[in-house]
Amino acid sequence: MRFLNILNSIYDEEILRKLDFLRGIRLFEGIRKRAMIHVLESLQERTYLKGETIFAQGDIGRALFIVFSGKIALSRLDPATQKSDVIAEVHPGEFFGEMALLEEMPRTATAVAAEETKVFMLFKIKLDSLLFARPKIGVTIASQLARILSARLRAIMEKPAEN
Amino acid sequence: MAADSTTLKKGYAQLVLPAVMAAALIYFIVLAKGAIFPFILSAALAYILSPMIRYFEVRGIKRTYSVAGLYISVGALLFIGVYLLFHFLSYDLETLQRAWPAYAGRIETYFTNLNAKVTASFPFLAGLKLNDKLQHLLDLAPQFLLGLLPALSLLFIVPFITFFMLIGGAGIIDYLLDHLPSRHSELILHIASRIDGSLGNYLRGILTEAFIIFLIAFTGLVLMDLNYAAVIAILIGVSSLVPYLGAIVGAVLSSVVAYLQFGTLLPIIKILAFFTGIRFFDDWFLQPYIMKKAVKLNPAIILLALMAGGEIGGIWGVVFSIPVTCILKEILLIAIELQETEFRWKPKPEPTRISIPFT
Repeated sequence: MRFLNILNSIYDEEILRKLDFLRGIRLFEGIRKRAMIHVLESLQERTYLKGETIFAQGDIGRALFIVFSGKIALSRLDPATQKSDVIAEVHPGEFFGEMALLEEMPRTATAVAAEETKVFMLFKIKLDSLLFARPKIGVTIASQLARILSARLRAIMEKPAEN
Repeated sequence: MAADSTTLKKGYAQLVLPAVMAAALIYFIVLAKGAIFPFILSAALAYILSPMIRYFEVRGIKRTYSVAGLYISVGALLFIGVYLLFHFLSYDLETLQRAWPAYAGRIETYFTNLNAKVTASFPFLAGLKLNDKLQHLLDLAPQFLLGLLPALSLLFIVPFITFFMLIGGAGIIDYLLDHLPSRHSELILHIASRIDGSLGNYLRGILTEAFIIFLIAFTGLVLMDLNYAAVIAILIGVSSLVPYLGAIVGAVLSSVVAYLQFGTLLPIIKILAFFTGIRFFDDWFLQPYIMKKAVKLNPAIILLALMAGGEIGGIWGVVFSIPVTCILKEILLIAIELQETEFRWKPKPEPTRISIPFT
Protein backbone atom coordinates (compact mmCIF):
# COMPACT_ATOMS: atom_id res chain seq x y z
CA MET A 1 0.00 0.00 0.00
CA ARG A 2 2.81 2.33 1.00
CA PHE A 3 4.68 1.35 -2.19
CA LEU A 4 1.60 2.31 -4.26
CA ASN A 5 1.48 5.68 -2.49
CA ILE A 6 5.13 6.29 -3.36
CA LEU A 7 4.43 5.33 -7.00
CA ASN A 8 1.46 7.71 -7.05
CA SER A 9 3.60 10.57 -5.77
CA ILE A 10 6.15 9.93 -8.55
CA TYR A 11 3.60 9.53 -11.33
CA ASP A 12 1.99 12.60 -12.86
CA GLU A 13 -1.74 11.93 -13.41
CA GLU A 14 -2.04 15.06 -15.57
CA ILE A 15 0.06 13.41 -18.30
CA LEU A 16 -2.31 10.44 -18.41
CA ARG A 17 -5.24 12.86 -18.77
CA LYS A 18 -3.50 14.68 -21.61
CA LEU A 19 -2.66 11.43 -23.41
CA ASP A 20 -6.27 10.25 -23.11
CA PHE A 21 -7.43 13.62 -24.38
CA LEU A 22 -5.12 13.46 -27.41
CA ARG A 23 -6.37 9.97 -28.27
CA GLY A 24 -9.81 11.46 -28.79
CA ILE A 25 -8.59 14.04 -31.32
CA ARG A 26 -9.61 13.19 -34.88
CA LEU A 27 -6.25 14.35 -36.27
CA PHE A 28 -4.44 11.69 -34.24
CA GLU A 29 -6.84 8.84 -35.03
CA GLY A 30 -4.94 5.64 -35.74
CA ILE A 31 -1.93 6.47 -33.57
CA ARG A 32 -1.32 3.89 -30.85
CA LYS A 33 -1.44 4.91 -27.18
CA ARG A 34 2.28 4.38 -26.64
CA ALA A 35 3.15 6.37 -29.76
CA MET A 36 0.93 9.22 -28.53
CA ILE A 37 3.77 10.09 -26.12
CA HIS A 38 5.82 11.29 -29.11
CA VAL A 39 2.90 13.44 -30.25
CA LEU A 40 2.67 14.98 -26.78
CA GLU A 41 6.44 15.63 -26.90
CA SER A 42 5.95 17.60 -30.11
CA LEU A 43 3.15 19.79 -28.76
CA GLN A 44 3.55 23.16 -27.11
CA GLU A 45 1.11 24.19 -24.37
CA ARG A 46 -0.09 27.71 -23.73
CA THR A 47 -2.90 29.30 -21.77
CA TYR A 48 -4.76 32.31 -23.19
CA LEU A 49 -6.80 34.58 -20.95
CA LYS A 50 -10.32 35.64 -21.92
CA GLY A 51 -10.19 38.21 -24.72
CA GLU A 52 -6.60 37.50 -25.79
CA THR A 53 -6.05 37.28 -29.54
CA ILE A 54 -4.42 34.03 -30.61
CA PHE A 55 -3.95 35.20 -34.19
CA ALA A 56 -5.53 37.77 -36.45
CA GLN A 57 -6.86 37.43 -39.97
CA GLY A 58 -3.96 38.04 -42.35
CA ASP A 59 -1.23 36.86 -39.91
CA ILE A 60 1.03 34.16 -41.30
CA GLY A 61 0.00 30.79 -39.84
CA ARG A 62 2.61 28.45 -38.45
CA ALA A 63 0.76 26.19 -36.03
CA LEU A 64 -2.38 24.15 -35.56
CA PHE A 65 -4.25 24.74 -32.28
CA ILE A 66 -6.04 22.04 -30.30
CA VAL A 67 -8.37 23.29 -27.57
CA PHE A 68 -7.70 21.41 -24.32
CA SER A 69 -10.03 23.48 -22.13
CA GLY A 70 -12.03 26.67 -22.57
CA LYS A 71 -13.47 28.10 -25.79
CA ILE A 72 -12.13 29.95 -28.84
CA ALA A 73 -14.18 32.22 -31.10
CA LEU A 74 -13.24 32.42 -34.78
CA SER A 75 -14.37 35.54 -36.62
CA ARG A 76 -13.93 36.80 -40.15
CA LEU A 77 -13.89 40.36 -41.41
CA ASP A 78 -16.20 41.03 -44.32
CA PRO A 79 -14.18 43.26 -46.71
CA ALA A 80 -17.35 44.81 -48.15
CA THR A 81 -18.99 45.88 -44.86
CA GLN A 82 -15.77 45.97 -42.76
CA LYS A 83 -17.75 44.09 -40.09
CA SER A 84 -16.40 41.13 -38.19
CA ASP A 85 -18.72 38.15 -37.67
CA VAL A 86 -18.14 35.11 -35.48
CA ILE A 87 -18.07 32.18 -37.89
CA ALA A 88 -17.42 29.38 -35.41
CA GLU A 89 -16.69 28.49 -31.81
CA VAL A 90 -14.08 25.87 -31.04
CA HIS A 91 -14.61 23.68 -27.97
CA PRO A 92 -12.35 21.24 -26.07
CA GLY A 93 -11.30 18.34 -28.28
CA GLU A 94 -11.61 20.38 -31.48
CA PHE A 95 -8.84 22.04 -33.45
CA PHE A 96 -8.35 24.93 -35.86
CA GLY A 97 -5.62 26.51 -37.99
CA GLU A 98 -4.74 23.22 -39.70
CA MET A 99 -3.88 24.95 -43.01
CA ALA A 100 -0.74 26.30 -41.32
CA LEU A 101 0.64 22.76 -41.21
CA LEU A 102 0.72 22.66 -44.99
CA GLU A 103 1.79 26.14 -46.04
CA GLU A 104 2.81 29.37 -44.36
CA MET A 105 0.03 31.57 -45.71
CA PRO A 106 -2.13 34.32 -44.18
CA ARG A 107 -4.81 33.18 -41.73
CA THR A 108 -8.34 33.40 -43.08
CA ALA A 109 -9.92 34.27 -39.71
CA THR A 110 -9.19 35.83 -36.34
CA ALA A 111 -9.07 33.60 -33.26
CA VAL A 112 -9.87 35.07 -29.82
CA ALA A 113 -10.12 33.27 -26.49
CA ALA A 114 -13.81 33.47 -25.46
CA GLU A 115 -12.82 32.35 -21.96
CA GLU A 116 -9.60 31.25 -20.26
CA THR A 117 -8.40 28.59 -22.68
CA LYS A 118 -5.59 26.09 -22.67
CA VAL A 119 -4.39 25.00 -26.10
CA PHE A 120 -1.87 22.59 -27.55
CA MET A 121 0.05 23.98 -30.52
CA LEU A 122 1.48 21.74 -33.22
CA PHE A 123 4.02 23.68 -35.27
CA LYS A 124 4.72 22.83 -38.91
CA ILE A 125 8.40 22.32 -38.04
CA LYS A 126 7.43 19.75 -35.37
CA LEU A 127 5.21 17.87 -37.81
CA ASP A 128 8.12 17.86 -40.27
CA SER A 129 10.36 16.43 -37.51
CA LEU A 130 7.76 13.76 -36.74
CA LEU A 131 7.55 12.84 -40.43
CA PHE A 132 11.33 12.54 -40.51
CA ALA A 133 12.05 10.89 -37.15
CA ARG A 134 8.82 8.87 -36.65
CA PRO A 135 7.36 8.38 -40.11
CA LYS A 136 4.54 6.11 -38.91
CA ILE A 137 3.12 8.84 -36.68
CA GLY A 138 3.89 11.64 -39.16
CA VAL A 139 2.21 9.85 -42.06
CA THR A 140 -0.88 9.06 -39.94
CA ILE A 141 -1.25 12.75 -39.03
CA ALA A 142 -0.61 13.88 -42.64
CA SER A 143 -3.16 11.41 -43.97
CA GLN A 144 -5.78 12.47 -41.38
CA LEU A 145 -5.04 16.09 -42.24
CA ALA A 146 -5.60 15.40 -45.94
CA ARG A 147 -8.92 13.67 -45.14
CA ILE A 148 -10.11 16.53 -42.92
CA LEU A 149 -9.20 19.17 -45.51
CA SER A 150 -10.85 17.15 -48.26
CA ALA A 151 -14.04 16.85 -46.18
CA ARG A 152 -14.05 20.60 -45.50
CA LEU A 153 -13.45 21.39 -49.17
CA ARG A 154 -16.25 19.03 -50.15
CA ALA A 155 -18.58 20.74 -47.64
CA ILE A 156 -17.78 24.14 -49.15
CA MET A 157 -18.28 22.88 -52.71
CA GLU A 158 -21.59 21.24 -51.87
CA LYS A 159 -22.96 24.25 -49.98
CA PRO A 160 -24.25 26.25 -53.02
CA ALA A 161 -26.11 23.21 -54.32
CA GLU A 162 -28.13 23.09 -51.08
CA ASN A 163 -29.26 26.72 -51.46
CA MET B 1 -4.55 62.11 -34.32
CA ALA B 2 -4.31 62.86 -30.58
CA ALA B 3 -5.54 59.36 -29.81
CA ASP B 4 -2.89 57.95 -32.15
CA SER B 5 -0.07 59.81 -30.40
CA THR B 6 -1.40 58.67 -26.98
CA THR B 7 -1.37 55.07 -28.19
CA LEU B 8 2.16 55.54 -29.51
CA LYS B 9 3.34 57.06 -26.20
CA LYS B 10 1.70 54.18 -24.31
CA GLY B 11 3.46 51.76 -26.66
CA TYR B 12 6.87 53.30 -25.92
CA ALA B 13 6.11 53.50 -22.17
CA GLN B 14 5.51 49.75 -22.12
CA LEU B 15 9.08 49.24 -23.31
CA VAL B 16 10.73 51.39 -20.61
CA LEU B 17 10.60 48.85 -17.76
CA PRO B 18 11.81 45.85 -19.83
CA ALA B 19 14.59 48.03 -21.31
CA VAL B 20 15.75 49.21 -17.86
CA MET B 21 15.65 45.62 -16.58
CA ALA B 22 17.62 44.37 -19.59
CA ALA B 23 20.23 47.14 -19.15
CA ALA B 24 20.54 46.35 -15.41
CA LEU B 25 20.95 42.65 -16.24
CA ILE B 26 23.69 43.35 -18.79
CA TYR B 27 25.47 45.67 -16.31
CA PHE B 28 25.25 42.99 -13.62
CA ILE B 29 26.64 40.36 -16.02
CA VAL B 30 29.58 42.63 -16.92
CA LEU B 31 30.32 43.36 -13.24
CA ALA B 32 30.04 39.74 -12.06
CA LYS B 33 31.49 38.14 -15.17
CA GLY B 34 33.64 35.66 -13.26
CA ALA B 35 30.89 34.52 -10.90
CA ILE B 36 28.30 34.23 -13.66
CA PHE B 37 30.43 32.08 -15.88
CA PRO B 38 29.66 28.72 -14.16
CA PHE B 39 25.97 29.63 -14.39
CA ILE B 40 26.23 30.19 -18.14
CA LEU B 41 27.95 26.81 -18.48
CA SER B 42 25.25 25.23 -16.27
CA ALA B 43 22.48 26.79 -18.35
CA ALA B 44 24.11 25.32 -21.46
CA LEU B 45 24.35 21.90 -19.79
CA ALA B 46 20.73 22.14 -18.57
CA TYR B 47 19.69 22.95 -22.14
CA ILE B 48 21.58 19.92 -23.45
CA LEU B 49 20.08 17.62 -20.80
CA SER B 50 16.52 18.97 -20.97
CA PRO B 51 15.32 16.52 -23.71
CA MET B 52 16.19 13.62 -21.38
CA ILE B 53 14.08 15.17 -18.61
CA ARG B 54 11.28 15.81 -21.11
CA TYR B 55 11.55 12.15 -22.18
CA PHE B 56 10.64 11.01 -18.67
CA GLU B 57 8.16 13.82 -18.08
CA VAL B 58 5.94 12.89 -21.04
CA ARG B 59 6.00 9.32 -19.76
CA GLY B 60 4.37 10.50 -16.56
CA ILE B 61 7.33 10.87 -14.18
CA LYS B 62 7.22 14.16 -12.28
CA ARG B 63 10.00 16.58 -13.13
CA THR B 64 11.70 16.50 -9.70
CA TYR B 65 11.91 12.71 -9.76
CA SER B 66 13.05 12.71 -13.41
CA VAL B 67 15.91 15.09 -12.58
CA ALA B 68 16.83 13.19 -9.42
CA GLY B 69 16.70 9.84 -11.26
CA LEU B 70 18.84 11.13 -14.11
CA TYR B 71 21.40 12.55 -11.69
CA ILE B 72 21.58 9.41 -9.59
CA SER B 73 21.98 7.01 -12.53
CA VAL B 74 23.93 9.05 -15.12
CA GLY B 75 25.71 11.01 -12.39
CA ALA B 76 26.96 7.82 -10.76
CA LEU B 77 28.28 6.53 -14.08
CA LEU B 78 29.88 9.87 -14.87
CA PHE B 79 31.40 10.10 -11.41
CA ILE B 80 33.06 6.72 -11.87
CA GLY B 81 34.20 7.79 -15.35
CA VAL B 82 35.55 11.14 -14.14
CA TYR B 83 37.18 9.52 -11.13
CA LEU B 84 38.94 6.98 -13.34
CA LEU B 85 39.88 9.74 -15.74
CA PHE B 86 41.33 11.83 -12.93
CA HIS B 87 43.22 8.80 -11.75
CA PHE B 88 44.77 8.32 -15.19
CA LEU B 89 45.13 12.05 -15.73
CA SER B 90 46.86 12.88 -12.46
CA TYR B 91 49.17 9.89 -12.90
CA ASP B 92 49.92 10.95 -16.48
CA LEU B 93 50.50 14.56 -15.50
CA GLU B 94 52.78 13.63 -12.62
CA THR B 95 54.76 11.27 -14.85
CA LEU B 96 54.94 13.94 -17.51
CA GLN B 97 56.18 16.49 -14.99
CA ARG B 98 58.90 14.10 -13.84
CA ALA B 99 59.87 12.94 -17.32
CA TRP B 100 59.55 16.37 -18.91
CA PRO B 101 63.17 17.54 -18.35
CA ALA B 102 64.46 14.45 -20.19
CA TYR B 103 61.96 14.89 -23.03
CA ALA B 104 62.64 18.61 -23.20
CA GLY B 105 66.36 17.85 -23.39
CA ARG B 106 65.81 15.45 -26.32
CA ILE B 107 63.57 17.92 -28.15
CA GLU B 108 66.08 20.71 -27.49
CA THR B 109 69.03 18.65 -28.76
CA TYR B 110 67.05 17.73 -31.87
CA PHE B 111 66.15 21.35 -32.58
CA THR B 112 69.66 22.65 -31.68
CA ASN B 113 71.16 20.29 -34.28
CA LEU B 114 68.48 21.28 -36.77
CA ASN B 115 69.04 24.96 -36.01
CA ALA B 116 72.82 24.58 -36.44
CA LYS B 117 72.32 22.98 -39.85
CA VAL B 118 69.76 25.60 -40.93
CA THR B 119 71.82 28.60 -39.73
CA ALA B 120 74.91 27.15 -41.46
CA SER B 121 72.99 27.16 -44.75
CA PHE B 122 71.04 30.39 -44.07
CA PRO B 123 73.14 32.60 -41.71
CA PHE B 124 70.48 35.36 -41.50
CA LEU B 125 68.21 32.99 -39.47
CA ALA B 126 70.72 33.11 -36.55
CA GLY B 127 69.39 36.58 -35.68
CA LEU B 128 65.97 35.10 -34.85
CA LYS B 129 67.42 33.21 -31.81
CA LEU B 130 65.13 30.22 -32.38
CA ASN B 131 66.96 28.21 -29.71
CA ASP B 132 66.17 30.70 -26.92
CA LYS B 133 62.51 30.86 -27.96
CA LEU B 134 62.23 27.07 -27.98
CA GLN B 135 63.89 26.85 -24.56
CA HIS B 136 61.35 29.35 -23.19
CA LEU B 137 58.41 27.34 -24.65
CA LEU B 138 59.74 24.07 -23.26
CA ASP B 139 60.09 25.63 -19.78
CA LEU B 140 56.52 26.86 -19.90
CA ALA B 141 54.84 23.63 -21.12
CA PRO B 142 54.51 21.69 -17.80
CA GLN B 143 53.30 24.77 -15.89
CA PHE B 144 50.69 25.35 -18.60
CA LEU B 145 49.36 21.81 -18.30
CA LEU B 146 49.21 21.97 -14.50
CA GLY B 147 47.59 25.40 -14.74
CA LEU B 148 44.63 23.74 -16.49
CA LEU B 149 43.79 21.66 -13.39
CA PRO B 150 41.88 24.40 -11.45
CA ALA B 151 39.51 24.75 -14.43
CA LEU B 152 38.54 21.11 -13.76
CA SER B 153 36.84 22.24 -10.52
CA LEU B 154 34.05 23.44 -12.82
CA LEU B 155 33.30 19.75 -13.37
CA PHE B 156 31.88 19.66 -9.84
CA ILE B 157 30.33 23.13 -9.59
CA VAL B 158 28.51 23.05 -12.94
CA PRO B 159 26.49 19.82 -12.41
CA PHE B 160 25.46 21.12 -8.96
CA ILE B 161 24.03 24.37 -10.40
CA THR B 162 22.56 22.48 -13.38
CA PHE B 163 20.56 20.27 -10.99
CA PHE B 164 18.68 23.24 -9.58
CA MET B 165 18.28 24.80 -13.01
CA LEU B 166 16.71 21.59 -14.33
CA ILE B 167 14.30 21.36 -11.40
CA GLY B 168 13.21 25.00 -11.46
CA GLY B 169 13.74 25.65 -15.17
CA ALA B 170 10.38 24.44 -16.45
CA GLY B 171 8.45 26.80 -14.18
CA ILE B 172 10.34 29.88 -15.41
CA ILE B 173 9.96 28.85 -19.06
CA ASP B 174 6.21 28.18 -18.64
CA TYR B 175 5.80 31.58 -16.93
CA LEU B 176 7.62 33.33 -19.79
CA LEU B 177 5.60 31.45 -22.42
CA ASP B 178 2.32 32.42 -20.80
CA HIS B 179 3.39 36.08 -20.65
CA LEU B 180 4.46 36.46 -24.26
CA PRO B 181 2.34 38.96 -26.20
CA SER B 182 -0.57 36.69 -27.11
CA ARG B 183 -0.89 37.57 -30.79
CA HIS B 184 2.86 37.20 -31.40
CA SER B 185 3.37 34.10 -29.29
CA GLU B 186 2.86 31.84 -32.34
CA LEU B 187 5.68 33.58 -34.22
CA ILE B 188 7.97 33.77 -31.16
CA LEU B 189 7.43 30.09 -30.35
CA HIS B 190 8.01 29.21 -34.02
CA ILE B 191 11.36 31.05 -33.98
CA ALA B 192 12.29 29.52 -30.61
CA SER B 193 11.48 25.98 -31.77
CA ARG B 194 13.46 26.52 -34.99
CA ILE B 195 16.54 27.69 -33.05
CA ASP B 196 16.04 24.97 -30.45
CA GLY B 197 15.78 22.30 -33.16
CA SER B 198 18.96 23.17 -35.02
CA LEU B 199 21.09 24.31 -32.06
CA GLY B 200 20.02 21.43 -29.82
CA ASN B 201 20.70 18.85 -32.51
CA TYR B 202 24.07 20.43 -33.32
CA LEU B 203 25.23 20.63 -29.69
CA ARG B 204 24.01 17.18 -28.72
CA GLY B 205 25.42 15.78 -31.96
CA ILE B 206 28.86 17.34 -31.70
CA LEU B 207 29.22 16.44 -28.01
CA THR B 208 28.24 12.82 -28.69
CA GLU B 209 30.69 12.75 -31.60
CA ALA B 210 33.52 14.21 -29.48
CA PHE B 211 32.80 11.71 -26.68
CA ILE B 212 32.82 8.72 -29.05
CA ILE B 213 36.09 9.91 -30.65
CA PHE B 214 37.58 10.38 -27.17
CA LEU B 215 36.58 6.81 -26.20
CA ILE B 216 37.98 5.29 -29.42
CA ALA B 217 41.22 7.30 -29.16
CA PHE B 218 41.67 6.45 -25.46
CA THR B 219 41.08 2.72 -26.04
CA GLY B 220 43.36 2.66 -29.10
CA LEU B 221 46.21 4.56 -27.42
CA VAL B 222 46.02 2.41 -24.26
CA LEU B 223 46.12 -0.73 -26.43
CA MET B 224 49.17 0.68 -28.23
CA ASP B 225 50.74 1.18 -24.80
CA LEU B 226 51.40 4.85 -25.44
CA ASN B 227 52.21 7.08 -22.46
CA TYR B 228 49.79 9.88 -21.48
CA ALA B 229 46.91 8.19 -23.33
CA ALA B 230 44.31 9.95 -21.11
CA VAL B 231 45.75 13.45 -21.64
CA ILE B 232 46.07 12.94 -25.40
CA ALA B 233 42.57 11.40 -25.66
CA ILE B 234 41.05 14.37 -23.78
CA LEU B 235 42.83 16.83 -26.07
CA ILE B 236 41.59 14.83 -29.08
CA GLY B 237 38.03 14.81 -27.72
CA VAL B 238 38.05 18.55 -27.07
CA SER B 239 39.66 19.39 -30.41
CA SER B 240 37.10 17.15 -32.17
CA LEU B 241 34.62 19.96 -31.57
CA VAL B 242 36.40 21.62 -34.49
CA PRO B 243 35.95 19.56 -37.66
CA TYR B 244 39.13 17.79 -38.84
CA LEU B 245 41.16 19.17 -35.92
CA GLY B 246 40.65 16.17 -33.60
CA ALA B 247 42.38 13.64 -35.82
CA ILE B 248 45.19 16.08 -36.72
CA VAL B 249 45.86 16.97 -33.06
CA GLY B 250 45.73 13.27 -32.17
CA ALA B 251 48.07 12.23 -34.97
CA VAL B 252 50.66 14.96 -34.27
CA LEU B 253 50.65 14.66 -30.45
CA SER B 254 50.67 10.87 -30.42
CA SER B 255 53.44 10.74 -33.03
CA VAL B 256 55.62 13.10 -30.96
CA VAL B 257 54.98 11.07 -27.78
CA ALA B 258 55.58 7.79 -29.65
CA TYR B 259 58.87 9.13 -31.03
CA LEU B 260 60.01 10.19 -27.55
CA GLN B 261 58.82 6.92 -25.95
CA PHE B 262 59.87 4.30 -28.51
CA GLY B 263 62.38 6.15 -30.71
CA THR B 264 61.44 4.02 -33.75
CA LEU B 265 59.32 4.64 -36.84
CA LEU B 266 56.90 1.65 -36.65
CA PRO B 267 54.74 2.92 -33.71
CA ILE B 268 54.41 6.28 -35.48
CA ILE B 269 53.15 4.58 -38.65
CA LYS B 270 50.66 2.54 -36.54
CA ILE B 271 49.43 5.73 -34.86
CA LEU B 272 49.04 7.59 -38.16
CA ALA B 273 47.07 4.64 -39.61
CA PHE B 274 44.90 4.58 -36.45
CA PHE B 275 44.03 8.28 -36.71
CA THR B 276 43.37 8.02 -40.45
CA GLY B 277 40.92 5.24 -39.52
CA ILE B 278 39.26 7.46 -36.91
CA ARG B 279 38.93 10.28 -39.47
CA PHE B 280 37.19 8.01 -42.01
CA PHE B 281 34.99 6.43 -39.33
CA ASP B 282 33.94 9.93 -38.26
CA ASP B 283 33.23 11.06 -41.83
CA TRP B 284 31.45 7.94 -43.05
CA PHE B 285 29.58 6.67 -39.98
CA LEU B 286 29.45 9.11 -37.08
CA GLN B 287 28.66 12.39 -38.83
CA PRO B 288 25.99 11.11 -41.27
CA TYR B 289 24.18 9.39 -38.41
CA ILE B 290 24.62 11.84 -35.51
CA MET B 291 24.53 15.16 -37.34
CA LYS B 292 21.80 14.41 -39.88
CA LYS B 293 19.24 16.72 -38.25
CA ALA B 294 21.65 19.46 -37.17
CA VAL B 295 22.29 22.81 -38.80
CA LYS B 296 25.07 22.52 -41.37
CA LEU B 297 28.10 24.74 -40.76
CA ASN B 298 30.85 25.09 -43.31
CA PRO B 299 34.31 24.27 -41.80
CA ALA B 300 35.56 27.70 -42.97
CA ILE B 301 32.71 29.39 -41.05
CA ILE B 302 33.54 27.27 -37.99
CA LEU B 303 37.19 28.38 -38.13
CA LEU B 304 36.17 32.02 -38.54
CA ALA B 305 33.77 31.67 -35.57
CA LEU B 306 36.46 30.09 -33.39
CA MET B 307 39.02 32.78 -34.24
CA ALA B 308 36.51 35.58 -33.72
CA GLY B 309 35.33 33.94 -30.45
CA GLY B 310 38.94 33.74 -29.24
CA GLU B 311 39.49 37.38 -30.15
CA ILE B 312 36.35 38.52 -28.33
CA GLY B 313 36.21 36.29 -25.26
CA GLY B 314 39.44 34.29 -25.00
CA ILE B 315 39.18 30.56 -24.31
CA TRP B 316 35.52 30.77 -23.30
CA GLY B 317 34.82 32.81 -26.41
CA VAL B 318 36.11 29.80 -28.35
CA VAL B 319 33.85 27.43 -26.33
CA PHE B 320 30.70 29.43 -27.05
CA SER B 321 31.58 30.51 -30.60
CA ILE B 322 30.00 27.48 -32.32
CA PRO B 323 26.62 27.58 -30.48
CA VAL B 324 26.41 31.34 -31.08
CA THR B 325 27.20 30.80 -34.77
CA CYS B 326 24.42 28.17 -34.94
CA ILE B 327 21.96 30.67 -33.45
CA LEU B 328 23.11 33.44 -35.80
CA LYS B 329 22.80 31.19 -38.84
CA GLU B 330 19.30 30.07 -37.86
CA ILE B 331 18.24 33.67 -37.13
CA LEU B 332 19.56 34.72 -40.55
CA LEU B 333 17.61 31.89 -42.25
CA ILE B 334 14.46 32.78 -40.29
CA ALA B 335 14.89 36.48 -41.14
CA ILE B 336 15.07 35.66 -44.86
CA GLU B 337 12.03 33.39 -44.57
CA LEU B 338 10.10 36.06 -42.67
CA GLN B 339 10.87 38.56 -45.43
CA GLU B 340 9.42 36.09 -47.92
CA THR B 341 6.32 35.18 -45.90
CA GLU B 342 5.42 38.37 -44.00
CA PHE B 343 6.55 40.91 -46.60
CA ARG B 344 5.98 38.79 -49.73
CA TRP B 345 9.37 39.31 -51.35
CA LYS B 346 8.83 36.28 -53.47
CA PRO B 347 5.44 34.97 -54.62
CA LYS B 348 4.95 31.37 -53.58
CA PRO B 349 4.62 28.97 -56.51
CA GLU B 350 1.30 27.11 -56.65
CA PRO B 351 1.69 23.41 -55.88
CA THR B 352 -0.60 22.60 -58.84
CA ARG B 353 -2.92 24.39 -61.27
CA ILE B 354 -5.66 25.30 -58.82
CA SER B 355 -8.15 26.13 -61.57
CA ILE B 356 -8.67 22.40 -62.15
CA PRO B 357 -12.14 21.82 -60.61
CA PHE B 358 -12.54 19.87 -57.38
CA THR B 359 -13.53 16.28 -58.19
